[in-house]
Amino acid sequence: MTSARGVLGLEEAAKITLGNISSARQRTERRLAERRALFAGIPIDDDATVVLTGSWGRCEVTESSDNDSIILLSGPRREDARPTEAQVAETFDGEPPGREAIFGKHVWLEDLQGKIGREPDSNKNLTRRMLFILESVSVCGADVHADARRALLGRYLSANVKDYRPPRFLLNDLIRYWRTIAVDFESKMRARDGEGWGLRNAKLRLSRKLLFAGGLLPVLECYRYRADEMLEFLDERVSVPPLDRLADAFLEHDAVDTGARVLTAYDEFLGILNDRAKRDELKTLGPSETADSELFAHIAGLGDEFENGLLSVLFDDPALQKWVRDYLIF
Amino acid sequence: MSTVARDVSPSPFNQLASHHPIGMSTGVFADARKDWPGLVERASAISPYAIELSALSGPELPGLLAYLRSAPALPFRYLSVHAPTKNVEPDEAKVVGMLAQLPLSARTIVTHPDALRNPRNYRVLGTRLILENMDTRKDIGRTAEEMGTFFSLLPDAGFCLDVAHAGDVDASMDVAHELLDRFKSRLRHVHLSSLAEGEHVPLTEEDAARFSEVLGRCRDVPWVLEARPPEAWRSALGAMGPPLDPTTAGERM
Repeated sequence: MTSARGVLGLEEAAKITLGNISSARQRTERRLAERRALFAGIPIDDDATVVLTGSWGRCEVTESSDNDSIILLSGPRREDARPTEAQVAETFDGEPPGREAIFGKHVWLEDLQGKIGREPDSNKNLTRRMLFILESVSVCGADVHADARRALLGRYLSANVKDYRPPRFLLNDLIRYWRTIAVDFESKMRARDGEGWGLRNAKLRLSRKLLFAGGLLPVLECYRYRADEMLEFLDERVSVPPLDRLADAFLEHDAVDTGARVLTAYDEFLGILNDRAKRDELKTLGPSETADSELFAHIAGLGDEFENGLLSVLFDDPALQKWVRDYLIF
Repeated sequence: MSTVARDVSPSPFNQLASHHPIGMSTGVFADARKDWPGLVERASAISPYAIELSALSGPELPGLLAYLRSAPALPFRYLSVHAPTKNVEPDEAKVVGMLAQLPLSARTIVTHPDALRNPRNYRVLGTRLILENMDTRKDIGRTAEEMGTFFSLLPDAGFCLDVAHAGDVDASMDVAHELLDRFKSRLRHVHLSSLAEGEHVPLTEEDAARFSEVLGRCRDVPWVLEARPPEAWRSALGAMGPPLDPTTAGERM
């Protein structure tokens, strides 16, 4: 019986080796240390944290990962907050924020926390909040990062949470975010005339699904806890990378074989993403070219294996399937 | 509308029918060989989710290739092709060449270890190739150790667990567990049936009980039926077609 948890625990239990995940984790730690050293010389307000999201938060940085950052401030709104957006951009080698202008900006905790739902909760606000909770890692202001994430979870849990039931407010927002990602994929691809379709579609099938499932499983697992215990549980869960949360779910629900297949598929996907030639090939693929792409067909297969394993733990496990039935549709 | 009440306490036998996805091997419909549209129609009436297009005999492969290259609109989320294992063209490279031309919608290409003359010829099929474990009629590919020899030659290949074959080799099902212990990460789908005198026949209640623990380790992959589904499963499968002819011949697959 293994005592290790997360990916390591699943590797032990299944007697498998996940070399690409392991390499990506080492690369992430190494590069995070470099970035943390760079930020050590920059003046930062006591209520500020700079976090990296996406592959950084998933602990799976590749050779091509962007520095998608959020500069979060938990204190009062002001003009002269430090670090400035320019300082952060410069520290990340002047890398410009993406076209959606979600990253590299000052973001106020009061917006993430106070504007959940309706008009004020813009697409950007929802995206930043979810990424901050589900897959972010700090390069400076670690305490502010941890406190802000806990405060955001606490906001969701302040709304009518019942003992031994998944917290519905958080669950609904999580599902809304996943569906938003899927709908926005089509919208973005139309706006960009299909540019980068293959790579983005591949990420939708695996990385984005991991982001969602890495939130969904812990939220459903709240059925094990009293309402006053859920914050502690969820806070601990989001403090580890999403793949560890998935691995733990497979271990806890006695689905080691399925977990091995799910993580092996993801491991192979990471190997492809870290291969510059394959990544570049994916970037050039549009929807009409995928039928003839062996690489894309392979990724689609990995995506199916990944999804089928997640669906199996959700729908075949006797404990989880009841909560899935009661909470996931309505 | 059906007036048949649903069983509220399904037996372990009927519980297996609720697995998703289940699909049919077209090898079950031996009377319609080479009629690919007809075979697909019959298989999809039982399950539109998964299918294995079975070209077990060498001369069936060119027709299947032509059919799939005509890009028919198929409903299946998982489509597998069973490569020829009988009456195979002597030029193995030519067979592999045809298999490599199968459209990429064919997610996997199943073959038998004993059908490989030079396994390295099959490397060109990459991760689409999957190897099926054999029964006692064969002298290779039956156990984890024997399968390991082939996977070492074909490192990208996946694994198809034929539960009936493994149960034939070892009625205790230890061999099946050993195959899964060693190749769990390669598993792509399961072949499910019972065996009678070396032929695939509908799953019996006795075998369902014997296989259930092994199948419990394969809940996330498609199960392909290599014999007609037990009649008791038709409701759970949502099968649309008329009852299958119970005389449908079994096949050595």
